[in-house]
Amino acid sequence: MRRRTFLAATAGGLVALIGAGAGIWSQVPVIPKRPEPDAETALGWIVHRDGRFTLTLPRAEMGQNIATALKQVACAELGADWDTVNVEMHSTSMPRVKATVGSESIKLFAEPLAQACAAMRDALVSGQATGRVAVTPRPVAELRAFRAGGLIGVSPEIAQGREIVTGAPLYAADVRLPGMRFGRVLRAPASVELASRPLHWNATAARAVPGFVALVEDCGPPIGKAQGLGILATRPGALDAIAEALQVEWDLAGPHPRSDIAGALDARLSEGALPHTVLDGTPADGPWDVDLRLDIPLAAHGPIEPRAAVAEWRERELAVWAGTQDAFYIRDVLADTFGLPTYAVTVQSCRIGGGFGGKTLCTVEAEAAALARAAGAPVKIQWTRGQEFALGFHRPPSSHRIRARLGGGRVTDWDHAQVSSHILFTSAGLPAWMQMGTDLFAGDPGVARGMAAPYILGRARAAYNAIRLPVHTGPWRGLGAGSNGLAVESAIDEAALAAGADPLAFRLAHIEDQLLAAVLVRVGEVASWGDAPTMVAGQRTGRGIACGIYKETSYAAAVADVAVDAQGHAKVTRLWCVHDCGLVINPDQVRAQCEGNLVWSLGMVLTDDLPSEDGHVVAETFADAPIPRLSEVPPITVDLIFSNRPPSGAGETAIVAGPGAIANAIRSATGHRPQRFPVRAGDLAA
Amino acid sequence: MSFSLNGESRDIPSDWADEPLLFLLRDHIGLTGAKFGCGVGICGACTIIVDGVATRACLTRAGDMDGRSVRTIEGLADGDVMHPVQQAWLDIAVPQCGYCQTGQIMSAVALLEQMPDPTPEDIDAAMDGNLCRCGTYPRIRAAIARAAEDL
Ligand code: FES
Ligand code: FES
Repeated sequence: MRRRTFLAATAGGLVALIGAGAGIWSQVPVIPKRPEPDAETALGWIVHRDGRFTLTLPRAEMGQNIATALKQVACAELGADWDTVNVEMHSTSMPRVKATVGSESIKLFAEPLAQACAAMRDALVSGQATGRVAVTPRPVAELRAFRAGGLIGVSPEIAQGREIVTGAPLYAADVRLPGMRFGRVLRAPASVELASRPLHWNATAARAVPGFVALVEDCGPPIGKAQGLGILATRPGALDAIAEALQVEWDLAGPHPRSDIAGALDARLSEGALPHTVLDGTPADGPWDVDLRLDIPLAAHGPIEPRAAVAEWRERELAVWAGTQDAFYIRDVLADTFGLPTYAVTVQSCRIGGGFGGKTLCTVEAEAAALARAAGAPVKIQWTRGQEFALGFHRPPSSHRIRARLGGGRVTDWDHAQVSSHILFTSAGLPAWMQMGTDLFAGDPGVARGMAAPYILGRARAAYNAIRLPVHTGPWRGLGAGSNGLAVESAIDEAALAAGADPLAFRLAHIEDQLLAAVLVRVGEVASWGDAPTMVAGQRTGRGIACGIYKETSYAAAVADVAVDAQGHAKVTRLWCVHDCGLVINPDQVRAQCEGNLVWSLGMVLTDDLPSEDGHVVAETFADAPIPRLSEVPPITVDLIFSNRPPSGAGETAIVAGPGAIANAIRSATGHRPQRFPVRAGDLAA
Repeated sequence: MSFSLNGESRDIPSDWADEPLLFLLRDHIGLTGAKFGCGVGICGACTIIVDGVATRACLTRAGDMDGRSVRTIEGLADGDVMHPVQQAWLDIAVPQCGYCQTGQIMSAVALLEQMPDPTPEDIDAAMDGNLCRCGTYPRIRAAIARAAEDL
């Protein structure tokens, strides 16, 4: 790809107007490779030199504090002192590891790491000091890291904790390079599904802004179909002024046929028969005892860190620092985009300031690389909060209809229909023509996640469809399991009410899985389930319960207390959660993940909503798309089940139960079943 | 123009005077503890202390710091010895992703300097403008209570 560069002297110094016309970008997306880790690969993560070890973290660190847990695994298996092991974030110069998604880091990476460390330990004992270690995987029962004791089952000070509390540079936006410029790529305020490009702009006014460096037309691939216009400045604060001065007019195709997002979901749900089946029973004909419709809106991940990247070209080599959940995929996309061999691109993973499934695709990294090439200097880009909302992908809105019939105090028939937008086959990554293929043959397992209710429900059917919307949707903490859990747990609660049964006992009567029954019984004990909810003078109070299974291997049950005032403002006053993810490496950090999931659960019911108009996201700040605040979060009690089951995942488990417990508590306090989320005060007014 | 930054005098170059203080700190001086989260004063990730008051660096003009005293997270610890608030944050393992936490800590330090023995309501009121998407709020409350004891 050849680019023309024009240089012109102005009063402000050297100004570059770079490129003419947009580049031709590949229409076929790069598909992420997701190799499973094994012991052989894991040998590359651990190095010994002069009595010290370096553990190159094979995962992205985004607050799950996996650096701490995997360091515990390594130290336990090596028999090494805590202070003799350094943990470093990986770059793409090590062999590929799969994306950090799906709560898999302990489940899939702890054993290979332990195997490699056991082999390393044996080699050191036998006197080997240099060269490669050979690994022959041993039975898990022989691994020290898979037995409670020593560093397994305790909670040392978190890795990078000191750097965090002293403000040391850890995140992509903290990277500073000599001569670095600051960039932004402006895009049309419109649906990313509509083709758009900059048409006219006031370059003269932009050049007059102090700190202006250049306009860059060739500013990387579009996001969706939105082509950008790049700007560069010597100071980050100048970017707003330059953007303002440019007054860009956009060439815009439109309107989008599904601009009415809620209407599009509703229409599809009303059509009946949905193509993708999760439970294939056939409910009998006849009247239903429960017939519940729930509408869950588009929601942002809302990490406090807007995504950022720093890019630097060294001749024909590209180095990028990024806070990404998938450095290798970013590397592959950058290589493809800029016509480079993969070895010429290095992506360094930085600590992520909140990922939640949203920092998996290549966006800001390609912008930074394109602008750095144009500038002939390193470039940093950190998205504005508004860009984070407008250009990221989000939790899809979903509409659910669940019907249940009772017989003899049990559910005999169940029918759950859902229309959503895509999650795993995200519209942010796949063009419409490719998605048509996945729609036809595969459905979307992300949308399906959690749709198979964990109960014995007689003749049970669950089916869904995913439709492409003008807003981009994709993975969000828990994928479909959060929304499906909220829907299923609301409906089962209504069924219990219809049966006149206690919600805990009713659930237990429909559960076969003993691990699920155990967390449910236990949460009843820790929360004193039969007791009255936390009292708040002059308010309606209620208590709710819910439970669920995440990815077939992790279990959670939750109890919530709420208080609702006369105007209908609901406040969660207490939360309890019991959690079983098998062998626990670091109990305090598993608890932290449960706490985070419960705060997300509260957000799902009471705050999360990303507003859109005419098919595009219009939120600019956290005032438009709020997240839970400290004063809204109640005391939380987390109780862990300690077991010797192989470790599963903790990052997304409690979100299957938390929202249902809160919604059911609101139902118990007010008699009103929350059906549109987030819950509006008007719906709950006394 | 100059200001005191963590006890040391610093110049404010004229071309940075109109810049938000946040960027002067992060991109000119190189103290990256204060974070950009929203740029409009809503999230608190950029919180620093100006003349004893918790302040949003994203909304503060750099040039307005002329003659003022600014403290950032980088000035809290005494070498390897953590400030009691930092130590409480480590003891209770508050941070998840950590991105909001420098702002949380600076808000907490300012609170405890003004109010050494805050009630739970005081803590909620003082900290409500510091958002944390990871949901570390219960631990933030606990760490402030712990630091108040230690101070
Ligand atoms: S960045 Fe200053 S308050 Fe959000
Ligand atoms: S720790 Fe991640 S935003 Fe607060």
